[in-house]
Amino acid sequence: MLTGSKTTFKVRQMLPDIKERMLSQSGVSARSRDVFGLRCLPGECVLQRAVMVRKKLTAREGRGWVSGTLFCTHFRVAFVPQDSPKPDDNADPVLLGDHDVALASIEKVVVVGPNRTKLVTPNSSLKFTPEELVLYCRDLRVICFLFDRLTPDAQVIEITYTIAKTYQPPKPGSVLSFQNAALGSVEMKQFLSNRRRNTHMIWFESASDWEQELERCGATGWRVSSVNDRFEMSTSLPRCIVVPQKVLDTELKKSFAHFNEGRIPRWCWRHPRGSDLLRMASFQNNIYHEKDDIRNLEMILFGCQSSLCVVVELGEELPSPADIQLAHSRLRALCLGDISTSVSVPDDKWLSTLESTHWLDYTRSCLRKASEVACLLRGGHLTVALQEADDRDMGCVVSSLVQVMCDPHCRTQHGFQSLVQKEWVMAGHRFNSRINYHRDNDKEEAPVFLLFLDCVWQLLSQYPSRFQLTDDFLLALHDSIHLPLFSSFLANCQRERCKRSQNPGQSYTPVNGWRDVLHPDSSSDSSDPPLPSVWDWSLQYSKHRRDRFTQPVPPIPPLQPLLNGNLNTNPDTHRLTDTIPGSVFLLSRGTFSCPSNLLPWRSGSSGVYKKSHRRAPSSENVPGLERLLKAWALAEFPQGLTSTSGPQGPLDPYEPLLPLLMGPCMGLWRECYLRGALHAQAFSHPISANHPHPVERLAREVQQLKDKLAQVSTDPNPPAKTAEPRRTDTNLNQNTNNGTFLFPASRSQSTTMPRATAPPPTSTNHQTSRGPLSASAPSSRPGHKDNGGSNKHTFLFGHSSVAEARPDQRHYPAPNNAKLPKSNGIQTAPPHDRAL
Amino acid sequence: MEKSGSIDSLGSKRSSSRQPSVDSLSSTSTSRSDRSAQAKAASAMSADSAATSTELSPELRVKPKTAAKQVFRDSDKEEQQLLPNETVQDVAQDVTYFCPFIGAMRGTVTVTNYRLFFKSMDREPAFVLDLPLGVVSRVEKIGSASSRGDVSYGLVCKDMRNLRFAHKQLEDTLRKSIFEVLVKFAFPVSNGLQIFAFEYGQVFPENGWKVYDAVSEYKRQGIPNESWRISKVNDHYEVCDTYPSTLAVPVNIPDEELKRVAAFRAKGRIPVLSWIHPESQATVTRCSQPMVGVNGKRSKEDEKYLQAIMDANAQSHKLFIFDARPSVNAAANKMKGGGYESEDAYQNAELVFLDIHNIHVMRESLRKLKDVVYPNIEDSHWLSNLESTHWLEHIKLILAGALRIADKVESGKTSVVVHCSDGWDRTGQLTSLAMLMLDGHFRTIRGFEVLLEKEWLSFGHRFQLRLGHGDKNHTDADRSPVFIQFIDCVWQLTRQFPAAFEFNEYFLVTILDHLYSCLFGTFLCNSEQQRLKEEIPKRTVSLWSYVNSQLEEFTNPLYVNYSNHVLFPVVSLRHLELWVGYYIRWNPRMRPQEPVHQRYKELLAKRAELQKRVDELQREVTNRSASSSERAGSPTRSITPVQTFV
Repeated sequence: MLTGSKTTFKVRQMLPDIKERMLSQSGVSARSRDVFGLRCLPGECVLQRAVMVRKKLTAREGRGWVSGTLFCTHFRVAFVPQDSPKPDDNADPVLLGDHDVALASIEKVVVVGPNRTKLVTPNSSLKFTPEELVLYCRDLRVICFLFDRLTPDAQVIEITYTIAKTYQPPKPGSVLSFQNAALGSVEMKQFLSNRRRNTHMIWFESASDWEQELERCGATGWRVSSVNDRFEMSTSLPRCIVVPQKVLDTELKKSFAHFNEGRIPRWCWRHPRGSDLLRMASFQNNIYHEKDDIRNLEMILFGCQSSLCVVVELGEELPSPADIQLAHSRLRALCLGDISTSVSVPDDKWLSTLESTHWLDYTRSCLRKASEVACLLRGGHLTVALQEADDRDMGCVVSSLVQVMCDPHCRTQHGFQSLVQKEWVMAGHRFNSRINYHRDNDKEEAPVFLLFLDCVWQLLSQYPSRFQLTDDFLLALHDSIHLPLFSSFLANCQRERCKRSQNPGQSYTPVNGWRDVLHPDSSSDSSDPPLPSVWDWSLQYSKHRRDRFTQPVPPIPPLQPLLNGNLNTNPDTHRLTDTIPGSVFLLSRGTFSCPSNLLPWRSGSSGVYKKSHRRAPSSENVPGLERLLKAWALAEFPQGLTSTSGPQGPLDPYEPLLPLLMGPCMGLWRECYLRGALHAQAFSHPISANHPHPVERLAREVQQLKDKLAQVSTDPNPPAKTAEPRRTDTNLNQNTNNGTFLFPASRSQSTTMPRATAPPPTSTNHQTSRGPLSASAPSSRPGHKDNGGSNKHTFLFGHSSVAEARPDQRHYPAPNNAKLPKSNGIQTAPPHDRAL
Repeated sequence: MEKSGSIDSLGSKRSSSRQPSVDSLSSTSTSRSDRSAQAKAASAMSADSAATSTELSPELRVKPKTAAKQVFRDSDKEEQQLLPNETVQDVAQDVTYFCPFIGAMRGTVTVTNYRLFFKSMDREPAFVLDLPLGVVSRVEKIGSASSRGDVSYGLVCKDMRNLRFAHKQLEDTLRKSIFEVLVKFAFPVSNGLQIFAFEYGQVFPENGWKVYDAVSEYKRQGIPNESWRISKVNDHYEVCDTYPSTLAVPVNIPDEELKRVAAFRAKGRIPVLSWIHPESQATVTRCSQPMVGVNGKRSKEDEKYLQAIMDANAQSHKLFIFDARPSVNAAANKMKGGGYESEDAYQNAELVFLDIHNIHVMRESLRKLKDVVYPNIEDSHWLSNLESTHWLEHIKLILAGALRIADKVESGKTSVVVHCSDGWDRTGQLTSLAMLMLDGHFRTIRGFEVLLEKEWLSFGHRFQLRLGHGDKNHTDADRSPVFIQFIDCVWQLTRQFPAAFEFNEYFLVTILDHLYSCLFGTFLCNSEQQRLKEEIPKRTVSLWSYVNSQLEEFTNPLYVNYSNHVLFPVVSLRHLELWVGYYIRWNPRMRPQEPVHQRYKELLAKRAELQKRVDELQREVTNRSASSSERAGSPTRSITPVQTFV
């Protein structure tokens, strides 16, 4: 375990004076940063402003209108509501306020005048005074400002021109100037380079990160190899890759040539039942296979499972990037309802037009493929290798979807961020080309990542209580993609990212292992500003919006258990293990086969293989594998299925969340795609703006109860009472939390309001904060009653204080016990009873 | 807080009775039964899955209190439970049921005077189908020659499914096939028998027939007031036999004139008040079409009457007349003596057509929808198939119409008159939906019951005719899913305003299930007059008795009392959804992944319990501060509010 690097890392992070320096700096520039109530970034200047403007609120914001002042800076279009609180000068700079839109996100500027609409371009001139300004954004938002009669005409026209001139029309080179506008100032550079990195997630940049992941998954038999440290083996692979322990680096080096772009099979994840998930590019065909090579290739491919490997070909059944691009552009056109061209699909053709985009079909096919893989992995003790021609698009989608389905950790915000870091950012998804920030490569453009987010949303909407992250989080990620500011998305692979930061940075020292120089020294900088990571959410989102990224209480408590890879022995396993070692099957179109040319080195020509492996791969355990898949098909039918996948909330938290994929089950992510649809807001909602959100309301109700209880506990006889309020207290919180946690199930259409600003503290906080109180007042009531209480709500809400009570228990408990705290809780009356 | 007590006790009893069943069954069936409770939500209806029967018989849900019964229940839960006065009519062994989802299975069919009960023999856990005969729309014999001596029967049901059974050709030719027996009891009206609701003798703690009282509902709305009065002109249903006996009319129109207005309105359905805005006094009034005819007949009384309705609202000098029909249809009605108000005759009135199609179009649309969703769904063309049924489009038009009405009344402070042709189908849909948007009271469970009793039942929506209870004439052109459409619209509203309704989805599904089941008398007959004549309230049980005796089943825990708020839904098709939980609930692949219903109930119980605990603590505080010297030795909280799951 190379812990050295971690410590170094921490020490550097903790440098004491950083914070102070920042504060004093912002203190100095405070006055200049607050312009007409708009809190500017350092170096940002307001180009134009218009007063008495009203902004149309979306359903999510409560609908209706809010009036305030509209600004255009050289970085964003900002809107400050009239009665917004005075900005806090000492706070860290936030790039975008709740009502702001970055210039780079704007795709089209349209003005609406009396009886007409006009698309405004940098060169166009206005012949009328606009009444309405509509900004169509790349992220599918449509932001609409209404000019009041009191807005001076000059201001209206000027700000329209200014926005039209300064927003980023899609042309190469504009990205850099935008980045400079946002981050180019000395203060911002300073600020960014001192940003503390999120330590709750794994970044997969260093070997120790990977080791942490191996440990988390309980994946033995694998090691982190730094053979690609200088990107000499493969330019698109990260520095660190995980390979079987028994393959030496020297042996490994020879195998790169056998794969497209040198993307050899690499370990991604281990299922708790002991199956490994690998991904790789397609084989290089015209290459001679030496005997030693073959041995290595087989070892790499089979990993630690000597018996069985299933190659899942991703090319055939999944959409190509071009398909995705076409579908997405159709979906966009359909959902945006472009008023400048007045082309809007009539309501009665909405459904068939939506169908003809094929977006939902593609979502379904990704989910289906991932479900198949998840079912295979569940079978235990086999290797599943995802193979795609270049292993940089659908490989990312499927491997990460599988993990979202199977691993509860990946359904938390930090776990999900780690996952994206692992399977997308580090694995070399070509974000830069696929998003086409520079508008210089339209052929490559394809929102593969957005398709993935949609798939995750589908899972989330079918299993709302199994996710700790929320659709607000997915939405934030969706929108951030369109902002060319983040290092995560502005490169195609780790190599490019390192190049850009001008900082090869990492060096290997035998003592400490990998040392990661995270932040290039700002003094040695190039002209480009340092780019933040997208995961630094506080740069973009205010606290109360970030609070909505997660459910206040994680649905399944042990978020980071140590898996030992032997969680359970599946009844099917023995059928699979008694096969000939070295069997390889191809999964394609839902069936297994073993075509002779599956592994090029085994196919006839080389002859070397035959000597060492006399027996030809047999198809005898195809039925066994097919049963694994069938288990899923059957899972859709509850009848007669005795496997553990009762779709209703399997007790085993590692049972995959298998989605229902029938037509009516595939939903449209309305909160994302339709939030800009203006026609949807034809009738403004007079009351919803000041409505309490139901959850907020629940919280308030509970707060009232709490207050009442507080009154009770001010009772003159504390000893007898203190235990009472405390317990009820925690329960009350449970209740709120559960309300929230429950809510997404039906939230989809709600006219949501911001959630309660501060999420109720988790009960862990409670225990600590209340701890002294109860300790100082020894309760006359014995503790078991308290326990009874907590057990009870555990059972009810699946929020396990049982698990919290033993945080040190890192070992995954035996299945029977495991069910108790981890279960979703609802129908677990019997286990609970047993526990009592 | 008297509710919380009952919730607790009910909850505990139910859970304790449930729990052994959970233990005894395999894990799969456990989960299944939970899910069925939620997804199928068909209390009296069966489910295409095993172990559901345990949960489904209504009397079991309501009365699990007797210990003996519980034991009985636990011991053989898959056995059929007979309702009071339900009698077995025939039993047949070795019948094959062709389930479109899991395939054929053999089992026993029992036919009673209320239901068909199928239990499979060859499956573990046993598959159970429990079907109230009221949902059967038609029984047809399918060609027997094809399959060696088997006789095959198809049951077309009103609730979006078809069932197919087969059994061996009977050797004893004199003996009737069980399905011939079934036909007899499925269509009691055609066979001179009584609908089961008249025999069902269950006693519930609450009498649902008392839910609605016209006078007190008008009183709640503030009627009578200076502009509106309660008229007893229709006390003996002489002015209009499809109207209720109690009517609210403008104060300055005497009863004699009402009769003359009635002569000018189709079926005598004069404009009467449905709802009045508590502040602006703008009203929603409903009626039938004027008998204008080809010659453009006019009626001074009718014109004066509408003027009086307008004058009753001082806020506006305009009156909106919403004609639910497409203008072409309205014009075509002139040939039959009907028509619409001409703006020449009615000064200050503006006529708006809402383009909602007639009952035949709706029936056809639902038939198409059934074809698309049952049994198989074509994934790749799902959305365009759905579009081709036009079902959602019709829903949209109805909602849009109701929205315009609500908007006129709320924002425009203008009174509206709503009618279609006869004023008992589309008019009822529009007024009740508008009232649901305008008045939070109707969004509570009891308020919604009142709404149905008032706008649908008392104003003579012809339930008997539209549904054909117990009538074998399945091709009757008067049948139409008008009420289902209304409930669908309500469901769309609950989707858009999840916290605005006190009831949950299960409540709506339950209403629709008992719309057909003929277990309760609520939806029998065509009008108030008929119901009185048949002594329905005396001879049958009301659905609301059943509902109100177990409110916690139907309560939405996220409900927030928005009573003073008006809901304006988004009626774009982009924001409407097919009600999968009703139309596709028979498909086991469509069941939701998480037991939301179950969790809602538990949350409710939890809330009630917390509230109770707080109240008790508070009481304790008051007590203690009163006698502050005492030290609470044994806590008053011996109630141990711990969830009674043990």
